[in-house]
Order: sequence, then structure tokens, then C-alpha cells
Amino acid sequence: MKPEELLELLKHALGGLAKEVTVRKGYVEVLVDADSVVPVANKLKELGFDHVKSVTATDYPKESKIRVTYHVSSYLREDLAKPILGLSVDLPRDNPVMESLTGVWRSSEFQEREVYEFFGVTFRGHPDLRPLLLIPELAERRVLRKDFVVKEESIYEGVPHRYQ
Amino acid sequence: MVLETILYLIAYPPLWQVLILGFVGALLVAMVAIWFERKAAARVQRRIGPYWASPRLGGFMIIVADMIRYVTQQVIIPTTVDKIAFLLTPVAVLVVTILPLAFIPLSPHELYWPVASMEYSLLIALALTTLPPLLTVVLGWASSNKFSVIGSLRESYVITAYELVAVLAILAPAASTLSFNIVYIVEAQQPVKWLAILNPLAFLAAFLAVLMSTSAFPFEIPESEHEVVAGPYTEYSGILYALNMGGGYIRRFIYAIIIALVFLGGWAPYTPGLDPFTGFIIPSLIVLVKASIVVLVMSFLRAVYGRYRLDQALDAAWRLALPLALLGLGWSIILAYMNLI
Amino acid sequence: MEGQKLQGMVVRRVEKELYEVFIGPQHPGSGHMRIIVRLDGDVIVEADPDIGYVHRTMEKLSEVREWLKPIPLLERMTIIDACNITVPYVNALEKLMDKSPPPRASYLRVLLCEINRVASHLYGFGIFGVFLGHSTMYMWAFGDREVFVELAEILTGARLTHSYPIPGGVRRDMPQDFPEMARRAVRYMRGRLEEYRRIFVDNPVIVKRLEGVGVISRNKAAELGIVGPNVRASGIRYDVRLAEPYEVYDELDFEIPVFEEGDALARTWVRVEEIKQSLSIIEQAVDWLERHKGEPIIPKEDYDKLPKLHREVYEKTGRVKLLPAHATMKIPAGKAIARGEMGRGEIIYYVESDGGTTPYRVRVVTPSARNAIVFKYIVPGHRLMDLPAIYGSIDYFPPEADR
Repeated sequence: MKPEELLELLKHALGGLAKEVTVRKGYVEVLVDADSVVPVANKLKELGFDHVKSVTATDYPKESKIRVTYHVSSYLREDLAKPILGLSVDLPRDNPVMESLTGVWRSSEFQEREVYEFFGVTFRGHPDLRPLLLIPELAERRVLRKDFVVKEESIYEGVPHRYQ
Repeated sequence: MVLETILYLIAYPPLWQVLILGFVGALLVAMVAIWFERKAAARVQRRIGPYWASPRLGGFMIIVADMIRYVTQQVIIPTTVDKIAFLLTPVAVLVVTILPLAFIPLSPHELYWPVASMEYSLLIALALTTLPPLLTVVLGWASSNKFSVIGSLRESYVITAYELVAVLAILAPAASTLSFNIVYIVEAQQPVKWLAILNPLAFLAAFLAVLMSTSAFPFEIPESEHEVVAGPYTEYSGILYALNMGGGYIRRFIYAIIIALVFLGGWAPYTPGLDPFTGFIIPSLIVLVKASIVVLVMSFLRAVYGRYRLDQALDAAWRLALPLALLGLGWSIILAYMNLI
Repeated sequence: MEGQKLQGMVVRRVEKELYEVFIGPQHPGSGHMRIIVRLDGDVIVEADPDIGYVHRTMEKLSEVREWLKPIPLLERMTIIDACNITVPYVNALEKLMDKSPPPRASYLRVLLCEINRVASHLYGFGIFGVFLGHSTMYMWAFGDREVFVELAEILTGARLTHSYPIPGGVRRDMPQDFPEMARRAVRYMRGRLEEYRRIFVDNPVIVKRLEGVGVISRNKAAELGIVGPNVRASGIRYDVRLAEPYEVYDELDFEIPVFEEGDALARTWVRVEEIKQSLSIIEQAVDWLERHKGEPIIPKEDYDKLPKLHREVYEKTGRVKLLPAHATMKIPAGKAIARGEMGRGEIIYYVESDGGTTPYRVRVVTPSARNAIVFKYIVPGHRLMDLPAIYGSIDYFPPEADR
């Protein structure tokens, strides 16, 4: 399925729910409001997008927003297996809360936990919202946000001065 | 004269049979079995196996080095264990494991028997071999570790199933010779009327059951590493761990001695003389060699098979091994009826 | 211990009849992870995979390093599959830069990818064998993997972390005598697969352990979004090499093995069949490379920029020496997704550039990260002894999942 056909299909299925549809390199991004993400996800699932490949969050401190993108695709419909669709939601940076999509796509469960621990995005209705990879203390510092700066260690870090 | 006295002293049954054959012999056989197991598995797996510790001996000294390590290693006693049971059980396991040797004749002459009468020797020896697994359960419980408890539970399942098969199968020769006396059973097999040939069903069942109930590789379900770490022995270290692990090998060795006597003709085809050397030491060494071969064959299976799941192993015991043992028993009754032995 | 709570300690109540066992992280059968298993008798009623013990902040570190530097960093996720894991990242950069590698470079990448895939499957077989108590399979698989690791070493100079692809090409050309070695390795491996079948895949004990264990139905597989051989064993015909052929996979002739049963045995068979297909791809790639000797392995515009000395080295030895300008290059702003098929399944990279010298955001989802969910939804209902069988059959690799 070509991107143009996919655009047509999306326009037909989503109607006015999609705020913005953009063809990116390798995927088609659909931006929706945080309130309408669950109905849109349900519609996409009806179309045949049956699994989540990646739940990606990106922090934009200048615009004070966090964009959460669900990259979805299909296993059961072979013609939909080629395109990847990015379902994006913009959330306010100071209080990022959105509905969990685990009810629609079970495959997003672990990755939503990841976004939760790295960006502090809270997913309402998630069955088990705990940090996945990090320890709770570290997760509270939202390490993948841009204001967490990685301190680069010099190779002499911790080596007593007289040996340097 | 002096030589003869020494010979008589050595041939004193409790010394020769229980101490020298029992402890030292079992230790040696266990070491050779472990070495052979590693070497044979390495051969199948296109490796060399133990080598650098002593290239001329095929790396046998690595086993000695391992034992030295076990003996000198620190014994860690976790604070949560039941200390008395934790410390005493491994020792008790070893003693109880060796005990059947006191009721097994390794010579046809009454003079060289460890106990005065051998009338019910097969029954008593078999009864005693079933004791150590009970202690393994105690061991797992005393460790107060979840993996130990699961491991000893598995052990109790496996022994309930396979001990029965082992006992039934090893009692088959008694049915064909109409006697529980091991000496009589051995003499009935002279020179090559071995029951393993006459009654292969019972022999096979006994072999399988011993393999399973002593949890040899690949059937080490109770201590399978990837589910329960080391099963009942998880909390043990140093010499206590060595006692436990060695206990398994020694137990298999004792079983192998019984199998060698009742199925593989004991000291047959050799006819023992009367003096200590030809009457006791040579026949007992013949039995030892036969038993070692049984142990080594058991070790070899490790390289070929994977591990059964617990319920599948139990299924195999009740549906396959038990009927096999019963068939063997029936066949030995037919043997006795037709006077074939 | 009531009331005592240490920092970072999570206290949870367990039902009275249940027995809670912590498998890992210091456990011979867990790898670098922990599975909290609640047992009712011998049957698992609940399994909670607790991963993250080897998290190495790949995504954050990629944001503070120049565009090329994440290549050697990201391949540390799965050093046994190093080319497969970096090719999609490089593809994403190429998409952003509108650059495409010359065909010879693409064929070299595919060649190394398939060598990696065979090595990765053999590694999986080895671990699987030892999980099932089959030490011979373990030793054989690891021994035979060495053949392919050495092939990779001859091709790239490194056994595991090759850092082979760079945006626009590869770092080294193939040595003269490589095709013969590759063909020999392929012949050898074909013979060995037959022996594997006899001792492991068709072994009655192993078949009994695997048949009907960890069954994932077609719909369940799609719902959980699992990847790779696991999804193909459940009857779903999905392989990135088929769905969206990257590099030169559309020019090669190979099949995607699909099995319908969805149990551990089917997953094992998929891997065996995939090794056969990879061997065939290696042969085809080597044939092509032999027919097209002397073609460039970097794009013309990159070659033109090289100084004289670097050109001489490139023409004489086939080695590409990068200029410092490469390390500090800027990539046009944009967002790109690239995916590839690793040994364990689909890997997906989301790369965002703001036009600077470092990536703005790199998101990587590895196959094991997506397979981890199997522990939570497929393991319950099985016996404790089935856990290693399922673990081994989905070929889960913690360092890859934790990133």
C-alpha cells in the first residue's frame, strides 16, 4: 500500500478527528487531540492496525510539550504490514497525562511503562503502571527529558590526583 | 607367614568390604565415573574435556583437585537454616548410603560375610537402599530455601515412582531362583546363565529405575539447574556439598553392585577358592569391575538426552517402567516354573 | 519483618495458597533478569518479568554523541548480532540524508547480516539446549557458531562488534579469498544441521518437552505484538525483509519459513529453517560480490572528498578511512523510521534530527523488548519446568531488551 492510498484510507476513516496528517520518512504521522486518542485508536484497530511497534516520546522544552507517538502496523492484514502509522498526541510538559491504549493494543503495555518512567507521562487506565527498566528513584528524575543532562566522566574520574 | 597374617587381616569382612571397598572403592568409582562422564561427554561434544591437570592421565587429576577444593573450601551456614539437621543430614546420608554393603556378600564362603546369615540379604539390602532419599527430603526442608523445598518435593515424587520399580525389578531374580539369598542367586547363575540375558526385561527396568531414582544426568529433575538452582543442595557449600553430590554417585554404585550380583552373575564365571585371596578379594574385585561398568554406561547417557519434565517422568514411571518391571517379574516366575535356572 | 521497609523495597501481599519464587537475577536459568513466579503447586498462576538489570541508557547516550558514534554504542545491545542491529540505524540516517549506498556496499551489509543471523540462531540454540539439560546441543551450537564468528572476523576485522556499516557504505571491502571460505562454512553448516536434527530437534525427550508448550495462537501473537521467529511460528507471515525490503533483499531469492502450530517446537523449527535460508543468501551474496569485483563501497561524493593518501589506502586495501568531517557532520532536520530483521526479530529505530551534529532523539525498540511480554501472558498456566523451555524457545536476550 502506497502512502497516498493510506492517506486516503485514513481521511475516510478518521474524518475530522485527525488534526494533522503528515508523510514522514518511513511512516505517516497522524496528530490527534489527547481527548480523542482512544476513539481514533479503536478506529485504526478496526482498519487492521493490530499491534504497536513502538511507543515513542519526544521532549520539546522550547514548545513546552511532550509528543507521544504510537507507531502501529499490522500483522494479520498483509497489505497493511508495509506502512507504519504514527499516532501522535501532544501533551503539556508540566502535567503529561493521557489515556492508556493498552485496552486497544495489549502490545503497548510494556512500552507505556517505559515512557512513564523515562518521561513521567501518566497513562490513565494502565493495568500496571510501574517503572520497567529503571529503579523507582531514578525514574522520578525523568531521565530522557531534555533537562536531564548527562554528566560525561573524564577517564581519570575517581583516580587519586597523584596518579594523574 | 607374616604376609598371610596381613592378608587375613585385610580380608576381615568389615575392613575389606565396608571400609576399603565401601568407602575407598566407592570414592574411587565415583571419581572415575565423574571423570569418565566429563571425558565421554566431551568426546561426543567435540571437546577435549579435562586435560591440563595431568595430560598423561587424561586430566584425571582435575577430579582430585576438585576434591581438595571441596574439602578446603569454607562451609557457609546460612542464618535461616535448621542448624542441626542442616549439618548432620549430609553425614547421615553418606553413612546410610554405605550401609547396604554390610548385608551384601561378596564371597560364597560364610567366613567372608560381614554378617552371619545371608538368608534374606537381597531384601535387607534393597530395603536399606531406599533410606537415603528420605534424608534428602529432610535436607531440603532444613535448608529453608524455596528452591530446596521444591527440589526435595520433586525428589519425593520421583523416588515414590521409581523406587517401587527398582525394588520390583531387582526382586525378579529372587522369584526365578526361589531365594532371597544373594549367594544362592549368584551361584545359580554360574557360569554364564546370567539373569540379564535370561530376563532382559527386568534388567532394563532395574537399569532405568536406578538411573531415575538416583537422579543421574540427564534425569536430574530434583536438582535441575535451570529451574531450582541445585535443588535440595542449593544452600550447601564446601565439604557438605561434596558429601551430597558424592552421595548420589555412591548410591548409584551400591545399586550397581546389587545389579551386578543378581543380574550380571556376581563373581561368575570365576569359581572362588578358600583362602582369603582367591576366596574373597578376587571375587569382590570382579563384582566391583562389573558394577563400575554399569555406572559408566549410566554416565554416558548424559550426552545424548535432555531432561524430562517432572510430570512426564512420573508418567513414564507408572505407564512404562512399572509394567516393564511387572513383566520382568512375570517372566522370572515363568523361568522358575520351567526350571530354566 | 512486618513494618520494616528498606529504601526501594516494594512490599506486596501474596495469596495464602500461592508460593512465590524469585527466579533471577542471580539464578543459573534466568539471565540478566528476574521473573517473579507465583506457583500453585507446580503450576504457574502468575509471572511478572522484572527486566532492566542491564539497562545502559542507549537512547540518552545517543542524544549526546555525534551521528556516527551511536553505531559502536548501539551494537553493544546485542554484540552477537551486531550488523543486524546497526544497519537500520544507518538506514535511518541515510533516509534523512537522502543518500543511498552503492550496490556492492549493500551486498556486503547483507552478507554480514546473514552471517550474524546464523551466529545468533546458533547462540539461541546453545542456550536453549542447556536450558533443557541437553549439554551436547549447547557445546555443538557454540562450537559451530565459532565458524561464523570467524567469517565475520575475516570480513570486518572484529569477531563481534564489527561497526561495519557507515552512512553511505561500509568500512571495508571483502578479502580476496573470502568467497571460498564462506562457501566452505555454508557446506559445513548444512551437514551439521542434519546432525542437529538427529540429536536435538527430533530427539524424543526434547520433542516431548516442546510439543504443545507455550502455544501462542495467531491472534494472540498479533495482540501481543511479538516479533521474529516467534511470530512466524504462529502462522503470521511477517518478516521485514519481505514486508519492506531494505538493502538488496528484494534482489535475493529466499523464503520466509512459516509454521502454524505456535508452540515451542514450531519456534525451534522456524530457526532451523531460517538458518538454511540464511546459508543460501550467503551463497548468493558471495556469488554476486565475486561477479562485481572492484565496484565502489562508498558513494562517489564521499570518494571525491577523500584526500590522496586516503584514496590510496582505499584502492589498495579496500579499507575506508573516514575523515574527521564525518564525525562532526550535520544531518538535515526531519523524522525517520527504519526497521530491520534481526536474528530475534524486527528492530525499529525512530531517529529525529533538528539539523545539529547530534541526534535529537533516537528511539530503539529491540525484538527482545517486544518479546518480553510473552512471560506475562503466555507463561501462566504452565508448569515450573516449562519456564526454561518457553524462555529458550522465544530466544529472549536480556541485554538486548534492556538497551
